[in-house]
Parts: sequence; C-alpha cells; structure tokens
Amino acid sequence: MSKQKHDSYLLVDIDHNTTKAILVQDQTLTTITKTPTTVDEPTLDVTQGVIEVIKHIQQEKSLNLLLGETVKPEFKLLCSSNASGGLHMIITGVIGNISGESAQRAALGAGALLIDTFSKDDRRPEYKKIAAMRAMKPDILLMSGGTDGGATSQVFEMAEILQKSDIKPRYGAEYSLPLIYAGNVSIQTQVDDILGENGYALKMVENVRPLINKENLGPARESIYDAYMEHVIIHSPGYPKLATWTDERIVPSQAMVGKMLYEYAQHRGVNLIAADIGGDTTDIYSVYNGVFNRSLNAGIGLTYGISNIVKEAGIDKVLRWLPAMMDERSVRNIIGNMMIKPPQNLSGEEQQIQSAVAREAIRLGIEGHKVIASRLKGVITERTLSDMFDQALEPTLLNMMKTQVVVGKGDAFSNQTMENSMMILMDAVQPEGITELYLDPDNMAAPFGNLLDHAKETALDLYNMHGLQFIGTSIAPSGVLADGQEALRMEFTNIQGVKVSHSFSSGELTMIPLKDMESIELNLIPNRLDLGSGRGKLVKKVVRAGKLGLMVDTRGRPMEKPRLPVKLLPIEALGRSE
Amino acid sequence: MEAVTITKERRIPTAGEVLVKQGQQVDPDTLIAACTVPSQNIHELRIYRSLKVNPDDVKNHIVKHEGETVEKDEVVAIARSFFGRQTRMARSPIDGVIMAFSSSTGRMMIRGHPVPVEVFSHISGKVIDIYPDEGAVVETQGYRFNGVFGVGGETHGILEVAVDSGDIPLTSTEIKPEHSGKVLVGGSVVTLDALREAVKQGVKGIIVGGVDQKDLTYFLGYEIGHGVTGGEDVGLTLILLEGFGVNPIPDTVFDSFKKISGNLACIDGTTHIRSRSLRPEIIIPL
Repeated sequence: MSKQKHDSYLLVDIDHNTTKAILVQDQTLTTITKTPTTVDEPTLDVTQGVIEVIKHIQQEKSLNLLLGETVKPEFKLLCSSNASGGLHMIITGVIGNISGESAQRAALGAGALLIDTFSKDDRRPEYKKIAAMRAMKPDILLMSGGTDGGATSQVFEMAEILQKSDIKPRYGAEYSLPLIYAGNVSIQTQVDDILGENGYALKMVENVRPLINKENLGPARESIYDAYMEHVIIHSPGYPKLATWTDERIVPSQAMVGKMLYEYAQHRGVNLIAADIGGDTTDIYSVYNGVFNRSLNAGIGLTYGISNIVKEAGIDKVLRWLPAMMDERSVRNIIGNMMIKPPQNLSGEEQQIQSAVAREAIRLGIEGHKVIASRLKGVITERTLSDMFDQALEPTLLNMMKTQVVVGKGDAFSNQTMENSMMILMDAVQPEGITELYLDPDNMAAPFGNLLDHAKETALDLYNMHGLQFIGTSIAPSGVLADGQEALRMEFTNIQGVKVSHSFSSGELTMIPLKDMESIELNLIPNRLDLGSGRGKLVKKVVRAGKLGLMVDTRGRPMEKPRLPVKLLPIEALGRSE
Repeated sequence: MEAVTITKERRIPTAGEVLVKQGQQVDPDTLIAACTVPSQNIHELRIYRSLKVNPDDVKNHIVKHEGETVEKDEVVAIARSFFGRQTRMARSPIDGVIMAFSSSTGRMMIRGHPVPVEVFSHISGKVIDIYPDEGAVVETQGYRFNGVFGVGGETHGILEVAVDSGDIPLTSTEIKPEHSGKVLVGGSVVTLDALREAVKQGVKGIIVGGVDQKDLTYFLGYEIGHGVTGGEDVGLTLILLEGFGVNPIPDTVFDSFKKISGNLACIDGTTHIRSRSLRPEIIIPL
C-alpha cells in the first residue's frame, strides 16, 4: 500500500455497461465522466474504457492525468468493479440457518451475488447437490460449518461433496477456483487433506461462526476481497493491466455501496434502508442501531429476474399498480419478453410495467431482508416477562417506524422521473412515521465508498452533495382508517407568521411542494393512527423539504389499495388561518 | 445453412459404469453411463405403537427382517391377542429395503429402493472421449439452432413442418395422429389447445415462434419463475424461437426447417436465462 498522502483521487467504478470516473481534488469534486465499459468483445480490454474516461476528464478540465499509459502518481487511482455481473459465489454450511447464514452474511457483505447455498440439512440428496454444483460456474466458493471445536463429520461430508463436484470457475478453466474455508478451525488440516489437491485454490481463514452466539465475518470477507483480486478479476480482460495502475486492490462495487451506506447512516445517526434493483438481483441494505446487513434476492430483478417477481408476488399484485386498460395477457407477454430478451430502450408500456414490477421487487426484497437482518439463529434466548412488552427479541431488526432514511438505487430509478421514483419508494417500502427519501440513481455510493478509507469526511460530504438526490420527507401514519375520515391534522406557522391548520383525509397521497432544503416546524396530530409517539399522539418535528417538497401519505399502513393519482397541494393552499 | 462439428458431454453426477467405448457409434437412445444412488426416502416405523405392545416385545412379532425387500403396505410385524381373535399389524409405508431394526426400542428403518441415475447419448454420433466412471463425449456433424426459451428437457424425433409459413399460428387442427413421435415446427404462435392436443397425440416436441405466456402457465400448471427450465414433465418439449406472444418465424429460418424436414431432430428446451449460459437447442445430426 502506498504511504503517500494524496489530495487528488481518481475514483473509477466499472459496471457491465458504464465506466465512471470522478476526479476529487482538494476535497471537492471536480468532475464526473462516463464512457461505455470495454470488457466485452470486440475490445476485451477494460483499460481502454478507463483510459477513455480519463481522457474525457483531461479534455474537460485541461489537466494531464496520464503518464504514458498509466495514471500519474500524484493522482491516487481507486477502482471498484461490478463488470461481468458481479462476484458469483457458492456458499456451503452444515446447518443452513446457522453456519450457512453466517457465511451468507460474510459473502453478501463482501458484495457477492450468491448463486446457491448448500448445507448438510438441505433436502437435496447428495448426488443432486453434486449435479447442481457441477452445473454452476462460480467465481469463489465459501465453505463454513461447525463452531470451533464443534461439528466435524458433517464438515468432512460437505468437503467430500465439494471434492466430488469438481466445480469449474466461471472464467478461465485453466485457473484454480478459489475456495475459502471459514469453518471449524480445529479440523483445517483434515479439510485440507480432502480438498487441497483437488484443483481448488484453498485458503483457510478464521471461522465465521466460532461460537454459536458469535459471528466473526471480517476474516472471511477480507479473504473474499483477496481472492476476488488474485484469482477472479485478474482473469477478466484487461484487469491485470489495470491492477498495475493502482496499488490498492480492485474491490467489488457492491461491497463499497454497503460500506458507504453504513458510514452515511453512522455519520447522520439514523436508521437506514436502501433498495437497489438490478437486472436479475434485488439488493436490500439496512443499518439499524449501527448493525449493517445486506440481503440479495438473486433472480428477482427487472430483466432476467422479472418473471420471478410475477411468480413470487402473483400477477394480481403487479396488475394493481397498472392502469385498468392494460390486459393481463399483454402484460404477461411483455414481462416474459423482458426476461428472455431485455430491451435496450423501454417503450412507454414497458416502462409502466417495469415500475409496477419494481414495487413488488422491493416489497419482496424487504420481506427477505427481514430474515437476514435478525438475531443470530441457533442461540437459545430466554424471554422474560418484560421482553413481552418491548421489541428486544423481535425476529427482525427492521422497523419502518424507526427508519429515518430510505434510499432507492439502481435500474428502477435511473430512467424515471423523480415523481415516479418517489411513488415506487412510497408504494413499495411503505415508510411509516417521518422518513426522508433519497435517490442514488447513478450508483455513486460505490466510488465514494472506495474513498472512505482514504478521506472519510470528504467521501461522506461528496456522497451527500453529489451522490444522493433528496426527494423529500414522507409523513405517513401507521394504521388503517376508512376512506374519507380525517387521518391527520397538520399545524404550522406560515411565512407571514400566521398559524395554519390543515386536515388530511384517509386514502390520499398529497405532495406539498416547498423550496428544496427548506425546513418547516410541524405539529402533526394523527387521528387514531400512529406517527411514532403512539396512537393519536402529537408529534412535533422540524422536517426538511426535498426536490418534491413533503409527501403526506394517509393511505394507511399496511397499504394494499391500488395507486391513486397524487394530489398536488401548494403550501399556500393548505388549511385555514386561525 | 452450414453443417458444423457438434460435441456433447454426457456425464452422470456420481461414479458409476460407463457403457460405451471410444470410437463407438451411438444413437440418441444409447445409454452412455449409469449408476444407482441410495434413496433419501427413509421412514422410521414405531412398530410398538401399531401393535400396541411394549417396545422390547416387538422382536417377537417381526415377520420381515433387516436386509429384506418390502413393498408398500406389506406387513412387517403382526401381533395376535385374545387367542388369535384380534390382530394388529404394522405395514411398510413405501417400497424399499429394511435398513435396521432395534429390538430395544421397537423401531424399524425402511429405506426406498436405490434411485437409478442414467445418461443417454441424446444425439447420434461417435464417442470421441471417455470420462472414466462418469460418461463420454459424443461428436457429430450437423446443424444447430438455438431458441430463446424452452420448457421440457432432451428428446428427439423426426422433424416435420406443420404449417405453410412462419406467420401462421399452430392450432389444434394441425396436430394429427401421424405426428406421434415427431418434432413439429409451427408458425407464429402455438395455442393452448394445440399444446394439449400435441401431448394427446404423442408429439415429442414443438418448435414455434411464440406462445402466449398465460397459455404456457396454464399448460405447465404453474408460473415460470427465474428462467431456469428443462426439468418440466409436461409430455413434450417446447422451444420458442422468438419470444412470448405472436412472433412469426423469420422466412430464412422457416425455409431452413423446411429443407431439413424429415431428418432426425434432437432437441432440448433447457434454458438458464439468469446465468445467460444456456438456451434451448435443436441439433440435426447428418
């Protein structure tokens, strides 16, 4: 690692379609440029896209960043990559929801896309496990199982299955597939005997689950980063050359996204939930009370994974977000074709369907996330009488009422108007209480996340200023009332110093445009509903307006009703003077 | 349309017996490798409950012993009381073999019969390589086409074009009894009635421009999920060349099928969309 102190950073993030570069000088963002990624044919050299994007910066800023074919040493080059569909991993464990789940958390935290998880207690017979493993071509295997000094024979059995499976790596049959063993450390030698000479590049690290009530994800996660750099990325076209330009390792983009969201939540002292919908995956990130979790719904996405959303959610759930004139058969055919032949440019109809499906993808993603974002399983907990009355032993850490920030990322938001993006988030996440909604449509969390270890304050400031777009603050009481009943009364003092009171009826979504970043002190009195202080209790809060101002959602929680047109209400038109 | 060299790796997922030799000519039905694997279907019988006797007394009532084969509902233990006037029996819940019996606990473990695992050649051609204990590589010269989506796995039959042009729908009226065992090429879309009629007439496969996604859901009986198919047991293999809905087959492709009509077609609807690695395949060995 370089010890040189840098003030200038060149942050490069490479995804399958776009190579993005950001120049940061003297703690300020100088420019952002994008070019097409050149990892596929006919170029087959990722550095060409990187050089191109750097040349754009040079032209734009009249700077000279290159020295021959490399970046000048005074500019620190930090690279993250999600090209070729990310980091594909297979996880094995002994008990699926104990060691398997800890290994999953380690892999997901390192930015992996899990292809499959195998455990001794899953129902597939051994030969089917082997057939399934052989049909997969991952980038890295992560094997867990047993606490330290604990289970042995089941770990050996799983090692033998891996040995028989002879799994081949996704790219380059000539290189050894990295296999990280992060299970019972007392049997590392025996595991090495079974797997060591089997064509896998075996690496032993500390146990992800050394004790039943303790997780240790750091060493496995670091080892995944190393294997990604040493074995995976180095076999992708042009990456060996790119690796010589930077003395930091190239890291998976999703790992940097998680890192940035965690630091952002910690910096602001908030609980956060973020949804990122890609082509065939939906990522949900959460930070609750300082605990970070990432879950990934593989096969749930807007192109290759779009039919799976219909299967999981049901066509009726998708149709509820679409105009009544769109018939089921056409919608099904369009969705099927978006799966088998993802369109380059969406028609109006396809865009409407994608937005509808995105809502269900996020909803399903959050449901799945609740399982990952939970207490460690397998630990026996004693419930006392007092536990019955609080949420200390709730099965999941997620609590919408205690979520202050919601972020939308990825394909579902990149080609939408802000109002559509807001609707997707409001309908899918269904925030409760008072929640700020943000977008990161260009995935700026990855490059700025890569800067965190070098200039944390700068990275956070830049992400806040240039990465996140503040949609607005949502005010959404929890509970359900019949349509038309008074749901919420809002009181505030207007710009002329006059006290204003306005009632919102149940079943509406009202947008109140205000100046971007304008703060307003509100008294909010829900009628038999809850805004965080209890049913019918007053909430006093200074809220900030975003680009769309404030959103008052009285459609109820949980909300099942079809989408209604948004009511637009200028603040001057609110209520009556008192 | 140009003939190419096509190779297919044919392996079983666990060690077994390879039944072909290098250089051997094979047909689609030639068994390449086979083995059996122990069944995972294991049942524990608490015989003392069925017989209403003490667990340690069960050993006196056993009629089938360790290692013996049993059929479903076959009596494995019998107890008579009241001078033979009342009879209680324990029966096997599955076809299988008695794995173990504990005389102290009165419990019996019965395991299902071993599961055969086999791999056939799928295409006609020549064995060019052998994987010891696992299978072989088969090579042929022929034509290869790919679809965009399919259901159903490997099958084969004589190819027949069932419509006059690529923009005509394939309906149930085009499906005839003489199409039994054949692979039919349809037109722009295949209807649900046509799919059901094809299964009734014993058609092996249908290659078509499109199908209504809702019709396919009705045909399968469930919703297609994440685009990993091939294991469906619906009576035939369906390959879509263009996509869902009404999609005429391009003239050049349709003319190619007309030219090779009457040849053997080895088709596989297996699709792995997510990994972008596997699309349905039509092989015409020459």
